[in-house]
Amino acid sequence: MKVRDIMTKDLTAVEKDMPVRELIFILNNAEMPNVPVVDEEGRLTGIISEKDLIRAALPGYFEMLHSTSFIPDMNQLSRKLSQIADQPIEKFVRTPVMSVTEDDDDLQAADLIIRKGVKNVPVVDGDGRLVGRVRRIDLLRHFL
Amino acid sequence: MIVTVTLNPAVDKMYWVDGLKMCDVTQEEFLTRAIRSSTSAGGKGVNISVFLSRFGMENVAMGFVGGHTGHVVVRDLRDEGVTTNFVWTHGETRINVTLLQVGREHSPNLVNEAGQTILPVEVDRLMRRYRGMLSRATWVVLGGSIPPGVDPGIYGEMAKMAKDAGAKVILSTGGEALTRALGAFPYIVKPDTREHMTLEGKGLTSVDAIVDAGRHMIAVGAEIVIISHDVTGDIAITRNDVWEIKAATPTSKFKNLVGADDVFLGGILYKLVQDAPLEEALKFGLAAGLASAESEEKICRNMDVIEQELQGITLARL
Repeated sequence: MKVRDIMTKDLTAVEKDMPVRELIFILNNAEMPNVPVVDEEGRLTGIISEKDLIRAALPGYFEMLHSTSFIPDMNQLSRKLSQIADQPIEKFVRTPVMSVTEDDDDLQAADLIIRKGVKNVPVVDGDGRLVGRVRRIDLLRHFL
Repeated sequence: MIVTVTLNPAVDKMYWVDGLKMCDVTQEEFLTRAIRSSTSAGGKGVNISVFLSRFGMENVAMGFVGGHTGHVVVRDLRDEGVTTNFVWTHGETRINVTLLQVGREHSPNLVNEAGQTILPVEVDRLMRRYRGMLSRATWVVLGGSIPPGVDPGIYGEMAKMAKDAGAKVILSTGGEALTRALGAFPYIVKPDTREHMTLEGKGLTSVDAIVDAGRHMIAVGAEIVIISHDVTGDIAITRNDVWEIKAATPTSKFKNLVGADDVFLGGILYKLVQDAPLEEALKFGLAAGLASAESEEKICRNMDVIEQELQGITLARL
């Protein structure tokens, strides 16, 4: 079976000049944990997730901590988020991005999702343009 | 690739009832129980997308969606195998209600909401995505009403962009949105006359009036104009010809007219994409529309039924 047979055919994506505030709106309303970043022709250039935004809004030492109890309150997060809300998402986008093509075997997508622990992987055509994504749930539905 | 744009999609909610109770006095019985119901994604472009996908034609559906009902639209389209590329908005996608009285399904009652108000930033977002899709598009369908907040000139702008990108445009809308898009030279125009059987204030009650209206639209910019004459017949006007496409089907056979007109256009597109001549496409389109009208399900899925309907369709040059 090929990736095209199991993928979710959705092209929801953002461009790198989108403000953080709008990205949060899209992640919330489209109910997506992350969203592909594309250029004007729809070619995949990166990915950005809720996690990337949280990381961007937290102090640099946060990842060294084992517990959030070291953070006195959430004001810092809130303040930082407000500061970056109107900034373009460009500097928070992760590149390069893992992807599969429509013609790859389904196992290749499964391997990436399972081994890398990601929730979904973008699917591109031969020209690198976004054509969909394979989600964990697509795998579960498919292999049941 | 085929791209359909539905700026004001809907959740189509249909109820089949034995009789609708309309009371004048508050003490009267006022509850009407539905015998059955159905829920599906709707809107002109959306219906065309579903039809094409059911017959194996890849396409992308675009437009605005919002809220809980927006998820219903997107989910339904994905289940149908349509690629979705919608802009999420602050509002809620509308619900259109159809009441079908059992035994009188050929004359349904429709209540359509106006739709959510779209913000300028949401329009900008859609136009950027649309521009990106045009590099892959060979056909673009612009269908349906314009939601509040959106300039009625948007279809004209989109049609011009598509034409500049080398894609052919099918336009199915009414009112100012239609008038303002004609100058962008759409390939096929199907005016929406469900609400008013008029175009630019002129009645469309006779064949002559329909042909005059079609010729006027061709003079302004359209290549082919298709106007409904009656439920089982349409008139197609081109620069050189006028065709009447007619079916002998009695209206009593109709079980669900919702979306049948969109399937008509979808059927035409299905054939034109395969380089069929216009005459063949028109006949196939009407057959597909009839097959949909005669099925309880909004959009037909059986090619055999369409082929069967084709046998009863005539095409005559006027």
